[in-house]
Amino acid sequence: MRRRTLLHALAATVPLLPLTRVRLAAQVRAFTPETVAVLRDVAATVLPVSLGADKVSLIVDRFLVWGRDYEEGIALAHGYGDPKLVTSGPSPVPDYVAQLAAIDAAARGRGGRFATLPLETRRTILSDALAAAKVTDLPGRPTGRHVVADLMAFYFRSSEANDLAYRARIGRQLCRTLELTTRRPAPMA
Amino acid sequence: MPTHESDVCIIGGGISSAMLARKLANLRPGTTITIVEAGRSIFDFEKRAVYRDRALVYGEHPWRNDYREDQMAQGFISMTMAVGGLALHWGGACNRFSEEDLRLKSMYGIAADWALSWDELERYYVEAERALNVAGEPSAYAEDRRSAPYPQPAVPLSYNLQVLKGWAEQSGLKFNALPLARNLTPFDGRGACCVYDTCDICPTGARYSPDFTFRQLIERKQIVLHDRTLVRRLVLDDRRPTVAAAQGVHQDRPGEAQEYRARLFVVASGYCWSPHLLLLSANTRFPNGIANSSGLVGRYMTGHAFVEARVTIDEQTWPGQHRVHSLISREHFRCPTDKPFVRHDTRVWEDTTGREPRLRDDQGRLLLGDEVFDDWRARTKGSSVRLRTYLDVHPSADSRLTLNQASKNRYGDPMPRVEHRFDAPTTARLAANKQHVRDLFSRMARASNGKVVSTFDGDYLDHPAGGCRMGTDPATSVCDSYGRTHDHENLYVVGAPTLPTGGCTNGTLTFVALTLRSADRIAQTLPRA
Repeated sequence: MRRRTLLHALAATVPLLPLTRVRLAAQVRAFTPETVAVLRDVAATVLPVSLGADKVSLIVDRFLVWGRDYEEGIALAHGYGDPKLVTSGPSPVPDYVAQLAAIDAAARGRGGRFATLPLETRRTILSDALAAAKVTDLPGRPTGRHVVADLMAFYFRSSEANDLAYRARIGRQLCRTLELTTRRPAPMA
Repeated sequence: MPTHESDVCIIGGGISSAMLARKLANLRPGTTITIVEAGRSIFDFEKRAVYRDRALVYGEHPWRNDYREDQMAQGFISMTMAVGGLALHWGGACNRFSEEDLRLKSMYGIAADWALSWDELERYYVEAERALNVAGEPSAYAEDRRSAPYPQPAVPLSYNLQVLKGWAEQSGLKFNALPLARNLTPFDGRGACCVYDTCDICPTGARYSPDFTFRQLIERKQIVLHDRTLVRRLVLDDRRPTVAAAQGVHQDRPGEAQEYRARLFVVASGYCWSPHLLLLSANTRFPNGIANSSGLVGRYMTGHAFVEARVTIDEQTWPGQHRVHSLISREHFRCPTDKPFVRHDTRVWEDTTGREPRLRDDQGRLLLGDEVFDDWRARTKGSSVRLRTYLDVHPSADSRLTLNQASKNRYGDPMPRVEHRFDAPTTARLAANKQHVRDLFSRMARASNGKVVSTFDGDYLDHPAGGCRMGTDPATSVCDSYGRTHDHENLYVVGAPTLPTGGCTNGTLTFVALTLRSADRIAQTLPRA
């Protein structure tokens, strides 16, 4: 059920409940088995097939851990220049759950489970979802705006993805010897 | 009121404080030194790797709670207030200024000369480089003479930087590896660099940060550190113009003032909070603040204007090898006296602009899976390069830190407001200086069939300093070249605030060198054990 639909249903059945309490009740604080299944279907589309299914599954597992370990109210990086205190917002997981439910609903509206749809149909569903969330480019890291962009950022912004893009063992931000960095990176096998 | 007595009371716990305390403790064993710092101690080195990882994937600040929410300034450069100060998360750049910085007035008829000679400062640069274990190499320019080598060889250039050096030097400029306060091998309780490439938090401690020094001094019982204690006032002796006490308050005991009494007081609170404390300490005898008979406390606030560019070139690099290391050219540290004045450093970094993964292609089509790699790989040919220059700009007397009555902390103290203003010669030449830099960037790009993709001018002054400038004349300066205030014989200001001008490259090494020189002078006033 789409989150908004769920809210609507709750509001209809419990009309005297204050809206804020309804919202709290509606929020799913963790990924549900159903949404994890959708996430894995989405991952199989948005992450490189060339990685292999096991690797894609592992990336999803790590992304789930990322969501689990997210902390609210932590000061974000405040650099130099015109520093402002900004803290991490609410966990994105409830929004992710709703977004995945929406993707699932959109897929079923087009004829079936997301993973079974033609590639261009899947592309359209995801493109529309990202456009609705006003995601225009790949974020530098997961930001909570949309689960698809965040999953892609989670992987494609990684050191491993950088190596694969350049087909070289660069090892960005991994502990390395200084001497190793003085040489042209070795090509990937 | 709880009273704490010591021979020396240092207010502030940043890099200048650490260097001063360590040297005084070594020169005068047995001297009691109390350091009072408003922020907390972040002595959890063992957790740095975790904080670093979370910073990378969650965007969290890696130095948790290194600020005080109601202790902020308008126009300051960083909100960090903790034991270690801004040097907790500095990059470790340890560039020297050049002789011209100390002789602007006599050479060019602009700004002000510093009240010490280059040869004297150079001696203390050597000491500062040893204290920070700087890794560097001899300058490509003969004018940058040194009386001693760096304690470590330069941080090796990555393959990328070797390629970029070959490219950049086609412009006629000569480049060196940036000198860095970074261990190549374990040193002084800190580990060796292993290129985590996140120098804002270094999991091995290879990049120097003052928390190590403070921990060592505490363990050796050479200092007493009172953290989370904000000094709000310096109190003068009833009869003499000397400082009798510093009064503060601990964060957990807001209703109980703490008094620090000492033979000698050193304000080591950086360019912002040092003049702020002096202004806050106004009293009936010194209504404009203490150490301020010149009226110059909080004036001549200085720093660097900067211009940055992204350039694309044909040479191939592999982004991610060593993002934080860079090249520096000191070509434009010198300016002929018969030419229009322009001084700046020139810095070169590897870069990824235009060579990163993206969500949609040029037609706006969402990229999926291996399509992202295909699109990305098609844009990895050649290189993007980041260029930056720090321009030598000079403050006017109206470049000020003032007390902002509209913003007060929990105790009702007005917070600082920093507003930078250039002097008339700087204002007159700034557009031409920036054009000179853009022309240089274009020339560098052309050397490899490249082009400047974008440029921007910094909207703040980097590496800020000033506010308690040194000088020989009490009418035109706050302190002498050792940081001793003209008005109060037992009150010193050290480090960044004492600079009359900010040079044209990173300032930390200079702050440390001046502080170590101050330490020698302060030690002379202290009895031997």
